Amino acid sequence: MNRIRLKIVGQSGSGLLTVGDIVSQGLNQLGFQLCSDREYPSLIKGGHSCYTINFANHPIRSLSHTADILVAIDKPSLVAYHQALKPKGTLIHGYERTQGIKDILDQAKKKNITIISTKARQLAHTYGGNELMANVILTGMVWKALGFELKIVQKLFEKKFQRKPEISKIAIKCLKAAFNEVKKISDIPLPTKKKTRKLLDGNHSLALGAVHAGVRFYVAYPMSPSSSILTHMANMSTKTGVIVKQAEDEITVAQLALGAIHGGTRALCATSGGGFDLMTETVSLAGIIETPLVIIIVQRPGPGTGLPTWTAQGDLNLAIHAGHGEFTRLVIGVSDPVDTYNNIQHALNYAEKYQIPVILLSDKVTAESKHTIDPKDFESIAIERNLTEGKDLKKLASSDRYALTKSGVSKRWLPGSCKTWYFANSDEHKEDGVLTEEGEEAGKMYAKRNRKLETLLEELPEPTLYGDIKADISFIGWGSTRTTMLDIIEFYKDKNISVNYLHYDYLWPLKTKMFEKVHKNNANIHLIEGNYLGQLGNLLEQKTGLKLKQKFLKYDGRPFFIEDVIEYIDKHTKS
Amino acid sequence: MKSQDLKVLAKKSDQYLEYETDELMTWCGGCGNYAIQNAVKRSLVLENIDHQNILFCFDIGCSGNESDKIQGYTIHGLHGRILPLAAGAKIANPNLTVIATAGDGATLSEGVNHLIHAIRNDYPILFLLHDNQNYALTTGQASSTSPRGCRRNAAPEGVPVDPLNPLELVLSQKPSFVAQTTSSHPDHMTDTFRKALNHKGFAFVSILQTCPTYNKQTSNQWYLENTIEVETIKKYDHTNIWDARKIVESENEKIPLGLIYQNPKKTNFLNAMENGKPRNLTKEVKHYDVSKLY
Repeated sequence: MNRIRLKIVGQSGSGLLTVGDIVSQGLNQLGFQLCSDREYPSLIKGGHSCYTINFANHPIRSLSHTADILVAIDKPSLVAYHQALKPKGTLIHGYERTQGIKDILDQAKKKNITIISTKARQLAHTYGGNELMANVILTGMVWKALGFELKIVQKLFEKKFQRKPEISKIAIKCLKAAFNEVKKISDIPLPTKKKTRKLLDGNHSLALGAVHAGVRFYVAYPMSPSSSILTHMANMSTKTGVIVKQAEDEITVAQLALGAIHGGTRALCATSGGGFDLMTETVSLAGIIETPLVIIIVQRPGPGTGLPTWTAQGDLNLAIHAGHGEFTRLVIGVSDPVDTYNNIQHALNYAEKYQIPVILLSDKVTAESKHTIDPKDFESIAIERNLTEGKDLKKLASSDRYALTKSGVSKRWLPGSCKTWYFANSDEHKEDGVLTEEGEEAGKMYAKRNRKLETLLEELPEPTLYGDIKADISFIGWGSTRTTMLDIIEFYKDKNISVNYLHYDYLWPLKTKMFEKVHKNNANIHLIEGNYLGQLGNLLEQKTGLKLKQKFLKYDGRPFFIEDVIEYIDKHTKS
Repeated sequence: MKSQDLKVLAKKSDQYLEYETDELMTWCGGCGNYAIQNAVKRSLVLENIDHQNILFCFDIGCSGNESDKIQGYTIHGLHGRILPLAAGAKIANPNLTVIATAGDGATLSEGVNHLIHAIRNDYPILFLLHDNQNYALTTGQASSTSPRGCRRNAAPEGVPVDPLNPLELVLSQKPSFVAQTTSSHPDHMTDTFRKALNHKGFAFVSILQTCPTYNKQTSNQWYLENTIEVETIKKYDHTNIWDARKIVESENEKIPLGLIYQNPKKTNFLNAMENGKPRNLTKEVKHYDVSKLY
């Protein structure tokens, strides 16, 4: 079965979220695998929003920009999105005054598009519903057109409105009416093996992974697209016991988090690029006092306010270079709900193990795309705090805290844990934290902190190669790009074109051995990255002296859709 | 401070000496910081505060240079940011006595937002404002408490604008504890810090500090002559915010010292977040089962 590409479009505030969520949940219950995402402008009412759902009976990780089925809630959105609909596709709308959309309907007929329509608002009024109830009708229409059973969506709506029985009754009437109005148009084979999967997005799984790994204090300032982590943390807090604080600005956020970690717990904060700009002085402070710190950047396009609700991979350089002075840090990129859940645990471990700032880069599409995931893929990674505790506390000297070790990592113990105090000094200092301005002492301590980079580089895994070592076309990338590239490799399996993809989870410090090997074996090697400069590509070229054949870059706020990459590959494999 | 307290201190001299380091002091002769540090140590000993569980948090500036001149767990942060850093540590481990120190530049310019929100959140920490009316460590520029017309580095014709009154600002935010003292009066400082250490919320203590190098206007003598202890004022009620506001805003009278205002009924941040039962989050770092949370 090929993927089925569904787009639901409407103005923000029109209720398309309900249609998209119910359809997604229904598909998951039927055993389909899906990936969905919502494109929306940075406003609350009006503007065009689009809820894309791609589903199949095999793994689906990426999104499309075209649609087989387009569900339009209102006219402005239909006008904005009708061209996304493929020839022979299906258009479902509930718009009553068809005269106003005559041109679009005529064009659709020329493309052999099946049109399914009802007067949704009128129908909703008939059963006592308001205009928003038109969304229930559209949900019913899509579900029937797809050929699935009523009871699944009926139960989902009953659950949604369980606290409002009157509305629930009207909704079910509307749903049934929609079912009667529409004919089934497709015969999609249902998945034979039903498996319990969960529908989760990256921000939700990040919150879950952080709680699992023992984060006890979460602090943030709202900023799209990171804000839903704060919402999830707060909504779960009565059950998890995590203290959740919305602070007054990002400077405070970073300082509260660092203070709490210094005090001895696991704390976490998240923001987007603009908020991270304000946190950078704290990253530098963490660097010199060697207190662990984990910050999440959920990327959106900048500079300035940029595109608040869209995606980008433009903050890699920021993460690597943020903060004055030189010190060791780790930068990790995540791509989907499962590796977000797992990598946040690694991030917390590395921060404590090496006593360094760790920056975890997510992006809008990773943060908000919902995927059907198998909870078994969520790993439980052993907590490594690297703290001196118990009897070992008695053997400590103050100078152990910043001892000039070969690895660069010294002993760390918590304030209050024993009478061996130390000074966590943002001024340059000696091994016990006492200030020094002596050249030799200052130089040695400076080098100690930077030595951790080599130790860390040694421990980090090489990037992961997907596909065979030799391929007709090769790609290097990081972050959410992996979701598209994994689907691409599958897509080309039976098409006589081989594709491989080298994925970087750990972006800094940079491992290059595997890259060099892939480069040696593949002349047709390309960078795929969501920014203008090709930031990862530049780092690799600088460090290895090797050249990439070409850079496939995207910086318009949209992720790499499956069609983008197919088009690119077709162009670069014909010879 | 009573003579009885001095006897108690004498008996506890071992505890007092535990705070001494052998680091060379780097303050000017006659700097108010010497007396402030002494009063802090006296008050900690007299109040039997567990030395091991104190976290001293220092901002940047002359006051911050104490960070390796007092024995204990210390953290020397960034300019203007000490309040959220200190509050974070307290949130993680409520067993710590957290004492944050910052100057007038950090508190009322670089990080004034943090002050306002520390009051609003009532983080249960002790905050010592070292107010010497200038940026001493950067060689004497004006701060936002420098009086109008006074000459400072980079203000050769005199500061052209009015100063900010820290107590007016703090009292406008419905604080839970506001006191004022002066580095010219070590006994008064000791008594004030002891009261502040016993407060259960955000204890704001303004210390009018001498700076013999860059602020010649306010000597020890000047502070002793121009201040008045509120305890000596008839009918002054430190639980009445209007008494407090009136006294800090009256321009022609002496500067008030002592416990200016206290509202013990305000719920501090930890109690508000955890229904009155703050937990030690340092003991809670372990795996949690999240499988039922999604």
